[in-house]
Amino acid sequence: MSEVLSKLATSIIEGDRDVMPGLTQQALDEGLGAKQILDDGLMPGMDHVGKEFRAGNMFVPEVLRSARAMQASMDMLRPLLAETDTKMVGKIILGTVKGDLHDIGKSLVAMMCEGAGFDVHDLGKDVAPEAFVEAVKEYEPDLVGMSALLTTTMRAMEQTIKALEEAGVRDTVKIMIGGAPVTQEFADQIGADAYASNAAAASEMARKLVGAA
Amino acid sequence: MRANYQVNSGVQFRMLSEDQLEELFNGVLHVLEYTGLEVHHEEARGILSEAGADVDELRVRIPSHIVKKALALAPRSFTVFARDGNPDHDVHIGPGRAHFGPGPTCPNFIDIETQERRPYLKSDVPLVARTVDALPNIDFCESLGTVSDVHHELGALYEFAGMFPNTSKPIVAWSYDRFDSEGIHQIAVAEAGGQEAFERKPTYVHYCEPLSPLVSTFEAIDKLLFAARHRIPLIFTPCPIAGGTAPVTPAGIVVQAAAESWMGLVLAQAVCPGLPFIMGGVLSVMDMSQMILAYGAPELSLMMAGVTELAHYAGLPLWQTGGCTDSKTLDEQAAIEGSLSVYFSALTGGDLCHDVGYTESAMTGSVFQLAMMDEAIGYARRITRGIDVNEDTLAVDVIGNVGPNGHYLREKHTRRYYKTEFWYPNLCDRRNYEEWAQMGSQRMSDRSIGRVQDLLATHEPSAIKPETEQVIERVLAEAEERVKESA
Repeated sequence: MSEVLSKLATSIIEGDRDVMPGLTQQALDEGLGAKQILDDGLMPGMDHVGKEFRAGNMFVPEVLRSARAMQASMDMLRPLLAETDTKMVGKIILGTVKGDLHDIGKSLVAMMCEGAGFDVHDLGKDVAPEAFVEAVKEYEPDLVGMSALLTTTMRAMEQTIKALEEAGVRDTVKIMIGGAPVTQEFADQIGADAYASNAAAASEMARKLVGAA
Repeated sequence: MRANYQVNSGVQFRMLSEDQLEELFNGVLHVLEYTGLEVHHEEARGILSEAGADVDELRVRIPSHIVKKALALAPRSFTVFARDGNPDHDVHIGPGRAHFGPGPTCPNFIDIETQERRPYLKSDVPLVARTVDALPNIDFCESLGTVSDVHHELGALYEFAGMFPNTSKPIVAWSYDRFDSEGIHQIAVAEAGGQEAFERKPTYVHYCEPLSPLVSTFEAIDKLLFAARHRIPLIFTPCPIAGGTAPVTPAGIVVQAAAESWMGLVLAQAVCPGLPFIMGGVLSVMDMSQMILAYGAPELSLMMAGVTELAHYAGLPLWQTGGCTDSKTLDEQAAIEGSLSVYFSALTGGDLCHDVGYTESAMTGSVFQLAMMDEAIGYARRITRGIDVNEDTLAVDVIGNVGPNGHYLREKHTRRYYKTEFWYPNLCDRRNYEEWAQMGSQRMSDRSIGRVQDLLATHEPSAIKPETEQVIERVLAEAEERVKESA
């Protein structure tokens, strides 16, 4: 592996965002392709971070700093990847469902998914079923993620799935759900494709759903 | 710059008032002056007489000005050093610093492989010492048992010989008599590089135990004289039992225990002025239905807090007690009794808190209880550390930057503090249900056992010098020779 690729990986692990643009430019100058920089530089770094996080050796703020370092590089690679029509790991839209103003869990999932190489569109909180439908039409994501913290707002997940069905786009996406009161049983019951019990599990599940893990 | 601004560093705990402490203090002086103690050691009676005590056959009464002089000579703060120079393993005794470690002399032990109760063996000593060396909140070492499978006079010597190479944390050395003390001291001095080097940086504390009520036994005094003459920091700790060998009331037992301990103080300071002296003892109740000294009693914590505050009032560090239980197994009772006494002990700032890992009312040592209590000590230490209030921790600017609806996960402020402001458990489980179930639905006791076994499989304490190993072999061989001859 070229030296610059391993430097990219190390800098992601260390969360050193400042050096990422320079290193990314250097890799491009050396004639490496955007896809190769992503696959052999950035992803091995983030994979290591994920492993260390699961082992309890790294903590959320460190993971997010690593994800940010990765994004600094991705900002340069994204247009190049689009030019050659190379797919990212996948595209995901996320939101806390209608009636629910709880943001932090969903934001964590967004950041973890970015770290896992996803193109993430965070729709925010209190997102109506129609807004999910619009976003699916606009971004054409691989995945839709929904979050709810309240038992009272969980039902909006089912309504969102119904709205996607009615709009005829349900089968273009995989749907994953999460949040404190949500369970696998509930996911099965409302016809979601997957459930994850925390943000790290969610990003892993997302990679599994797009066949990247 | 602020004027008249007061900072509380850590949580504030105080049980007794200044007036109450003065009352206890005067009670101790009264007992020493008017009742006195029996001192079963002729040479010691001579020394005490010369120091100004009134000696009447075995009975020694000490005027209060002599006691006060001895108190003034003993240091409140001093350091017991790691044998390998590792500053993290040094124990700095001083105000507000609570340290923790196991206790000595349980006849039984919970086997590390089988978890069954059986007599304490020589082969257990290195395992306990290595676990102590590895556990982050255990600061000093004792063995948790009396070695049963060597000659009955040599248990203490084999104990020290097994502990010393297996931990560089300071050891509190218990012994039967002066012969043990000599052997133990030769080992420590060999590693230090001579008596002078040892005196500059002592690596162990000598433990002596007088008898309640009011008897300084020959062995306790003889060991004290040895320690004082070799400038070995000293613990002189009685073990009175309220309602049995001491008054039933907490104030009464505190007074008696202090009198018993301060007899040792006066003698030690007469022999070696300025000798680091740690006041005892272990104070608890006699359970009037089971006739045991209860190690899990709430009164133990109360009495220990009383004697700690008295010690600090008098300017002495204290040999605290906690992390122990009357339970026979690693269960909820063990967790409650151990954790509450650990927490209460931490609040008092009692200087060296021992008996962590005692179960079955001190009949059985358990390294698993020790590991579970390591977690409780970490927990207690986070609480007693308290809250820092300053411009940066107030975070008024950070709150402004994040504003409504934002989050703090990406703030530098979060990254700066989340590792030091939050306590991270080693044994307490915070996984979600699914992950916990996936990991085998383990109980706290399972995880405590697993942690000990992991540490023993991976942790290597720093080695002693090769010449010290030779000294250990020689000391043990000579001791074996001595007991053979006397047989």
